[in-house]
Amino acid sequence: MKIRLLVFALGLIGVLLLAACGGAAQPTSAPPTAAPTQPTAVPAAPTSAPASAEPIKIGGGFALTGDESVLDLPAANGAKLAAKEINAAEGINGRPVELIVHDSQYKMDVTAQICKQFVEQDKVIAVIGFTDTDSVLACGPTIQKAGLPFITAGATSPKIPTQVGDKTYLACFGDNVQAAVGAEYGASKFGKTAYLLWDKGVEYTTLLADYFKKRFTENGGTIVLEDQYDDKATDFSAQIAKVKALPKQPDFYFISAMPYNVGPVVKQFRDAGLTGPIIGGDGYDTPDIVSVAGKAADNVYFTTHALIDAQGGTEGIKKFIAAYNKEYGHDPENAFAALGYDTMYLIADAIKRAGSTDAAALLKAIQDTKDYPGITGKISFPDGAHVPQKGVTVIAIKDGKFTLGVEMVPEKVPAP
Amino acid sequence: MKINHSRLWSWLVAILILAVVLALLQASGQAFWQGIVINVGIFIILTVSLNLSNGFTGVFSLGQIGFMALGAYGSAILTLPLREKAEYLPRLPAWLAGVHFDFFVGPFPLGFMLATLIAALLVALVALLVGLVLMRLSGHFVAVATLGFLVIVRVILFNADDFTRGSRTFSNVTPYTDLWWVWVWAVLAIYVVWRIKFSSFGRTMFAQREDRAAAQAIGIATMPPRLLAFVVSAFFTAVAGSLYAHFITSFSPTVFYFDLTFRVVTMLVLGGMGSVSGSVIGVLLVMALAEILRRIEDVNQLYGLSGVVLAVIFILIIVFRREGLLGSREIPFDRLWQKGGANQSAVISEQ
Repeated sequence: MKIRLLVFALGLIGVLLLAACGGAAQPTSAPPTAAPTQPTAVPAAPTSAPASAEPIKIGGGFALTGDESVLDLPAANGAKLAAKEINAAEGINGRPVELIVHDSQYKMDVTAQICKQFVEQDKVIAVIGFTDTDSVLACGPTIQKAGLPFITAGATSPKIPTQVGDKTYLACFGDNVQAAVGAEYGASKFGKTAYLLWDKGVEYTTLLADYFKKRFTENGGTIVLEDQYDDKATDFSAQIAKVKALPKQPDFYFISAMPYNVGPVVKQFRDAGLTGPIIGGDGYDTPDIVSVAGKAADNVYFTTHALIDAQGGTEGIKKFIAAYNKEYGHDPENAFAALGYDTMYLIADAIKRAGSTDAAALLKAIQDTKDYPGITGKISFPDGAHVPQKGVTVIAIKDGKFTLGVEMVPEKVPAP
Repeated sequence: MKINHSRLWSWLVAILILAVVLALLQASGQAFWQGIVINVGIFIILTVSLNLSNGFTGVFSLGQIGFMALGAYGSAILTLPLREKAEYLPRLPAWLAGVHFDFFVGPFPLGFMLATLIAALLVALVALLVGLVLMRLSGHFVAVATLGFLVIVRVILFNADDFTRGSRTFSNVTPYTDLWWVWVWAVLAIYVVWRIKFSSFGRTMFAQREDRAAAQAIGIATMPPRLLAFVVSAFFTAVAGSLYAHFITSFSPTVFYFDLTFRVVTMLVLGGMGSVSGSVIGVLLVMALAEILRRIEDVNQLYGLSGVVLAVIFILIIVFRREGLLGSREIPFDRLWQKGGANQSAVISEQ
């Protein structure tokens, strides 16, 4: 019995050590500035701003592990990078900023808990983060009740502010905007008939498909066939068989998919001989699409927040890529890194203009944001809106590379 | 079993201590710690009731979280205020769209209690129908079949858009769940399962788990104890689902799937299949470890550590201590005051 316990204990210690080494080798882990004795959390950015002043604490909630981490990890890295830059440049009104990051593990009870932790234990003045609607809805009410501002980096459901409350803002465009751009772009470039396929297991993909259908049919388009698949499906042959049975192929295919599905779905469409243009939403913004689908990804177009490309991107994006590369040793994975970066700067800008960390003043400053020059586009919240008016970037995949198609503002946006 | 007074007193004292702790926590106003204690209570209900069906009878069901999902959606549809109902679930049938279980008697949310009970009773009925078929199976067949049940529930939740919003997040559920609701139900679940274990029905469960042929040979039928365990387990699991729904207030079918199944099974196996106190200890250990590891993750930026460590502990337990920490034994807290005390009772509780 005792021997078994001993083996058990040794095994446990071994695993802990192994995990510690593995973690340290990750390029994403921050420089070891953290004091290991600190009980709760640690500033993600080393403070080079005036150390004497009390830091301004901002909560960063991200699903750093779990299914959503493909998007949340880059967003968290972007936000941390921004916090570091802000501190290197004298902080906010002479005070350093401290971004406290907690991992929500993409579990809803943990998500609800870390947001209580932000309010009660970390005593933050605002919370940023998350790239999916479920997490925002699990976290938002706690922040709303505490009266603190909450800006989501990448959850694109335009319904979030009405569902959570008046202290919640989006740093990204809503799904209705990007779906409208997808519909208008497809209609003007390829034609008036489309095939519509969506992942029925996720709110984002369902909403995006709904908004697309609304705008496309309103614009005079016809959806020749609509179909769905289960979340995390790996085999799309049933859907493809129905498409192939169509008497005439549509002008383009609109496929509303999650990042982990885009590679397989595009590849299987191409393998089946369906070579027409495929249009999608910002779920396509992952390097996986090219690495999984390879050449098959050509003639794919998608709407997203910015083109993260060292050659084709804007000046701001180029600078951001260089800084990100220096900090983490690799290029940003996708536009969510840029969104995380913008969200951090957006809240910093509001604190600066508010001149205080008081919640009411800060909320007013966020609402008054006008033409804030983010790297993912100019951000304003006009007429009490909580979803910003922003341009949408359409990216075309050509020869296995993301290239800038066009920057668009939709003519008409379906109601949320 | 006749009621033994010293045992009854032990229960009352234990409950009183718990009530004082909860009252202090309530008074402190710390929502974070309250949240942790609420989560612990919910997982205790889940694990103890899973123990009843899986541990006592040895019929390893992996479909439990399906019952939880049904309990969560069922009660949430009932308690959703009429205005939200019209907005979020516009295609509900009229008889359901008109009911609202958001009424109070004084400060007491009677509607929430009724909704929880109705949902749990309906789920128990579902469990009865499912159990009549599935409880005839044994071994790994039952694990696969109940897993199938979990998948079926998920597919139904996704496709019954009119009732569940399908894939979309079911939000704006009123946050009724507090410390008291959770722990009253948790104590009730523990008490009921404990009494079942030491009843003749409980002994037939263990008998047919250990050796079905021998049990049948002396006239113990397999079906009734299994079915009872399955249905009672489903009832409390659905209650836990309702409490969970009114605690996190927004959820989608993806929440009730493998991840939660795995967490509850880990707690059960760690504590011991067949031990009620073991289940409580299993929950406390896993929750404490998860929280501590989460803090370590934050400090050292080792995100993902808790998942790895918990999985490895699970593997080590399966390899080195398959019966879990307590096996089928109990910590005989209700007999500590008896003459002869724990020594005597340890023998009894080992059966």
